[in-house]
Amino acid sequence: MNDDYLLNKRILLVDDEQELLDMVVSILKEAGFCQIATAKTVKDAIDLADEFQPELAILDVMLPDGDGFSLMEKRKGGYPVLFLTACGEDDDKFKGFGLGADDYVVKPFLPKELLFRIMAILRRSYKEENPLVKLHDSEIDFSRAEVIKNGEHIPLTAKEHDLLSALYRNAGRIVTIDALCEAAWGDNPFGYENSLMAHIRRIREKIELNPSQPVSLVTIKGLGYKLIVWGR
Amino acid sequence: MNNLLKLIRRFTGILLLSVVLLLFVNFAVLAFLIVWQSPSSSDSPYNVAIQTGKGFQASENGYILQEDISTSLKEKNVWAFVIDNDTLQVVWKTENVPNTIPLSYSLSDIADLSVGYLNGYPTYTGKTENGIVVLGYPKDSYWKHTRASWNYSLIARLPQIIFIVLAVNIAVILLIYVTANVKFLKPVKPITKGIQDLSIGEPVYIPEKGLLSDISSNINRTSDILQEQRQQLKKKETARANWIAGVSHDIRTPLSMIMGYASQLVDDVNLSDAEQQKASVIVQQSERIRNLINDLNLASKLEYNMQPIHTRQINLISVVRQIVVDFINLDIKGDYPIEWLTADNLNVCMLNADKDLIKRAVSNLIQNSINHNEKGCTIYVLIKIDDCCHIVISDNGIGATDEEVEKLNNSPHYMVCDESTSEQRHGLGLLIVKQIAAAHNGKVTISHSEYGGFEVVICLPI
Repeated sequence: MNDDYLLNKRILLVDDEQELLDMVVSILKEAGFCQIATAKTVKDAIDLADEFQPELAILDVMLPDGDGFSLMEKRKGGYPVLFLTACGEDDDKFKGFGLGADDYVVKPFLPKELLFRIMAILRRSYKEENPLVKLHDSEIDFSRAEVIKNGEHIPLTAKEHDLLSALYRNAGRIVTIDALCEAAWGDNPFGYENSLMAHIRRIREKIELNPSQPVSLVTIKGLGYKLIVWGR
Repeated sequence: MNNLLKLIRRFTGILLLSVVLLLFVNFAVLAFLIVWQSPSSSDSPYNVAIQTGKGFQASENGYILQEDISTSLKEKNVWAFVIDNDTLQVVWKTENVPNTIPLSYSLSDIADLSVGYLNGYPTYTGKTENGIVVLGYPKDSYWKHTRASWNYSLIARLPQIIFIVLAVNIAVILLIYVTANVKFLKPVKPITKGIQDLSIGEPVYIPEKGLLSDISSNINRTSDILQEQRQQLKKKETARANWIAGVSHDIRTPLSMIMGYASQLVDDVNLSDAEQQKASVIVQQSERIRNLINDLNLASKLEYNMQPIHTRQINLISVVRQIVVDFINLDIKGDYPIEWLTADNLNVCMLNADKDLIKRAVSNLIQNSINHNEKGCTIYVLIKIDDCCHIVISDNGIGATDEEVEKLNNSPHYMVCDESTSEQRHGLGLLIVKQIAAAHNGKVTISHSEYGGFEVVICLPI
């Protein structure tokens, strides 16, 4: 999967400390981002945003002439927001997420962590058109809800689609039984463990060449399942 | 207030009991006196009179009284005479009959003396052949009930009447008692309320008047002192927690810069390996400082109850499973495999708890196993339910000595220790786990693992 197209996104960075701005800019540039604008106050940020049209904003909470929360509420265009702040209190986090923030990173942070989170937000917000997901034995076309195996197009049911999407969002990582049940059956996902196993079996029949010895959708005993995507 | 009612009830009970007891004792004593002071049936003057009447023998020379009866009468200082049925004259008498006693009687005289007195002497009559015998006992030796007469119904209902009178008496006594007590206890009520409020730390003010004004004013003073001390303490605790929160906040931005630039240096291809290695040490140590700040802040807030606890129903299995998976997903090298030992059919364990804090506690324990076993180890996670919910985190790493385990279980951490200490204590991670367990009314036990390493059990009530 190629995320390079995300590096062209315009990022607005707001923090009152010049040194921190410099550092984050250098981190972003090193990672390959090329369109970055910075502001030190709420007023500057609003003026700049009109012209710059950011596609992601990274905001500090405490600013000299206001706070990041109100800045976020005033934004035009509904681009995603990531808070990068020294306010690590739970209540601050809840407030940020409550207002619709996409992520919340507390200082001090590792540059890699910040980059992972930025990429995750961008990937969620700006999906590549019609990506085909390559597995070991087959391909998944999420937009058409079907699996292509040996040139044959096999349709996915709604539940299978939900489960595969949840697994794909965390491709290469374990997704717990509970998270999968929640993805397929909603907020009160208790008692669906056996149904989940049945669905997983059916998905394997569609995506695996040898469903009894799966290579793409593997079981992690007692914990959950992992989708292994080609090239990731 | 409850205490006051209890007090009144107790007093009333005691009073009731004593009244009943007193009545019972009085009745018993009275009955005893009456039985004791009443002449026995053979000594009763009525019987003596009847026996004396039978003891006469009529002869031609007049009446002759049996010797033993005559002697016994004399001993008791009793005099006697006989009135003839026909003549109503005294036809026989003992020697000790006083002179004032007449020798002839009308029928009405006889009727009188048979029920009452003769010249002040209590008299008793007995039947004899052709006459009656009259015994005269010494003055004031017996009291006779001469003119008693009541409606029959009164006597017939006497037991009920006595019972009602007694009941009314008891009721009246109680009424007087309760009224008096309530009046007395009225000023006590605010005092007991005040003492109750004192014990839960509420500010107290009792009007200082009446019988118990001294006590009231003392309680008010105590309350003032307690409030002031409480405020001082609160101020100190808040200041301390704020100080820690402030310092940790202010360190975050400069530390971000150290971590950020050092991380860039680690990946800088223009630097030598040794220089990159130095930069990576800076990153690692900065991360340690970051974790320390976070722990210190949370620990101090939990200690001074400044951390809001947001409890709601959570599925513990799902929460812990997610943490385990997060650790596995992060452990790219695979140095720290985690085994999930929870029973396969145990998928739901609903608890009322703060999800974030529980996550923090379990993460801390897994992270502890990782931190203390640099060469890698297997970590075992088990949830089991009996009378409470056990989360068991153990490993097969280097573990700890018996002494260390004992210390971890029982010695207070330096953060919450009231003695100065220079001794090296364990980190904040375990303290936070203990604090979080305590905030959920649970407890933490540290021991040796059956797999050869360290084991911590968090026990949460269901």
